Amino acid sequence: MATIESDTVAVVWKVLVAEGDAVEDGDTVMILESMKMEIPVEAEESGTVSKVHVEVGASVAEGDPLVTLG
Amino acid sequence: MSFTWESALEELKRRRARARELGGERRVQRAHDQGRFTIRERIERSTSWFSEVGELAAYEDVDATGKVLGTLPASYVCGLGEFDGRTVAIGGEDFTVRGGAPQTYLARMKGGLGGFVEDLAHDYRIPLILFLEGIGGDVAAQAEKGYAYLVSSLSMMRPFELMSEVPVLGMVSGASAGGTAGRTVVTHFSVMTKDSVMFAGGPPLVKRALGIDVDKDELGGARLHTSVSGGVDNLAEDEDDALEQMRTVLGYLPQNVWELPARGDRSDPADRIVEELLKIIPENRRQPYKVDRMIKAIVDAESFFEVGPKWGRSVTTGFARMDGIPVGIVASNPRYLGGAIDAKAAEKQIRFVDTCSTFHLPIVYFVDVPGFMVGTEAEKASTLRWGMRAVQSLIFAEVPVITVHVRKAFGMAVNATSNPDGLGLRIAWPSGEWGDLPVEGGVEAGFRREIEAADDPAEYRRLVEERMLAMADPFRTAEHFGVEHMIDPRETRAVVCRFLNASMHKLVTTLGPPQRQWRPGP
Repeated sequence: MATIESDTVAVVWKVLVAEGDAVEDGDTVMILESMKMEIPVEAEESGTVSKVHVEVGASVAEGDPLVTLG
Repeated sequence: MSFTWESALEELKRRRARARELGGERRVQRAHDQGRFTIRERIERSTSWFSEVGELAAYEDVDATGKVLGTLPASYVCGLGEFDGRTVAIGGEDFTVRGGAPQTYLARMKGGLGGFVEDLAHDYRIPLILFLEGIGGDVAAQAEKGYAYLVSSLSMMRPFELMSEVPVLGMVSGASAGGTAGRTVVTHFSVMTKDSVMFAGGPPLVKRALGIDVDKDELGGARLHTSVSGGVDNLAEDEDDALEQMRTVLGYLPQNVWELPARGDRSDPADRIVEELLKIIPENRRQPYKVDRMIKAIVDAESFFEVGPKWGRSVTTGFARMDGIPVGIVASNPRYLGGAIDAKAAEKQIRFVDTCSTFHLPIVYFVDVPGFMVGTEAEKASTLRWGMRAVQSLIFAEVPVITVHVRKAFGMAVNATSNPDGLGLRIAWPSGEWGDLPVEGGVEAGFRREIEAADDPAEYRRLVEERMLAMADPFRTAEHFGVEHMIDPRETRAVVCRFLNASMHKLVTTLGPPQRQWRPGP
């Protein structure tokens, strides 16, 4: 179980994975919008998405969980 | 008994052997069990030769009631050594002897915290390598002295003086607390192994003072210090990794401020065209790029070493070489806070710029900054004061600064990227955009009343934005010599290398201590 956390204050702009999806290390799983930039969130290991913690439009703070890989 | 060579040399041999036993087998075993080396092993593993000073320093080990149990070697091991082919002053606390507590009752404290090893680095003008593992002062020292002493009786001048004389590099493996932790942050580069801790006071002290139960990693673990506090620059996997990082950093630095750093090999062609830059920097301005990829493409192959990669992340800092010349690289990192300078990023930039200035490394700054960070948290952190100190440190830098404008450059933060009172060489890519404020938000702020009063506010705003955007065209700035040079990004390496080579003529005339003293913070 690895949870990818937001490393910045941002708004969720695009969610690119759903529960059950297989992701590879380095895949972009979500795009956040912060300071008018589209910040890609990448998986740091391979696995299957067991939970997507946020929806498009949600505000996230540093350390907030985004996606958990099972 | 009269003197005989035989008995005197026998006694010397016995005492030397005793020093090598450190705090005893049990304590040495404990360090090994926890995956750490002893101070003697650290020095042995990191040097090709070591000439110890004060090997025989020892003291009587007494229990809490004053009963003498035997003798123990002094809690600090130091001397002269060869570290990666360089002569250095090297030393560290011995954690197996009273947790490495400083022995203020020994003459000159023997070493550490302003002791002999720091005098050696100062007097011979050689780098200082410190292994920092100790608990700081302990109550037992009071018993040795027979009175409670004021800590302010110890001179702290030397550690600060050394910051403007010779490279000072520190490694934390194990626990660095109190005075040892304080010493850790007064270095040009520090590195901490991932299972180490550092704090002003450990969990028992926190419990007594604040009534809070806190785990030592949560209180001052390596991840916290290398990613949140920035008290230590870099994280290391283990001691081997930490040593390798220290060797790498020392490789960019001279023996002292009176010498130039050694030039590296020049096998990577200075005029190499960097084709991949057009791929690394997306055409969509809302998409960030990996700043380390951009830097690595431009500097000499395999020469970039990032300092503080996990803290103050909106500014990337690191050493590199260009045509063999050691340089300091500073770059906005658009993947974090869009590259906005927050208090931590400013602190990191100040620390790095000061180090480069001290050791005569020219600075190459890649700018993509939307401004100082805004928001409640940013105001609470006093982003303004730290940001303006970053401006000051760059203006005061006594080395050539070459600025490359990649994309955005807005607001006061841009003053922290080049120095108009120096040569102020700013090289722009056609992707550059700059001004007091970005046009989008700036039009709303600057013409609010006019926009509100218009018959069709939306259309009026559009017209104003259109006019302002036309003026924001970077080519217009280049026409007015408002930026010194505009180039194809692919030529960046070639152009920067030419100016760097030319600047060496000036650098050799500015050797010596900085005109202003180094300061670890405002």
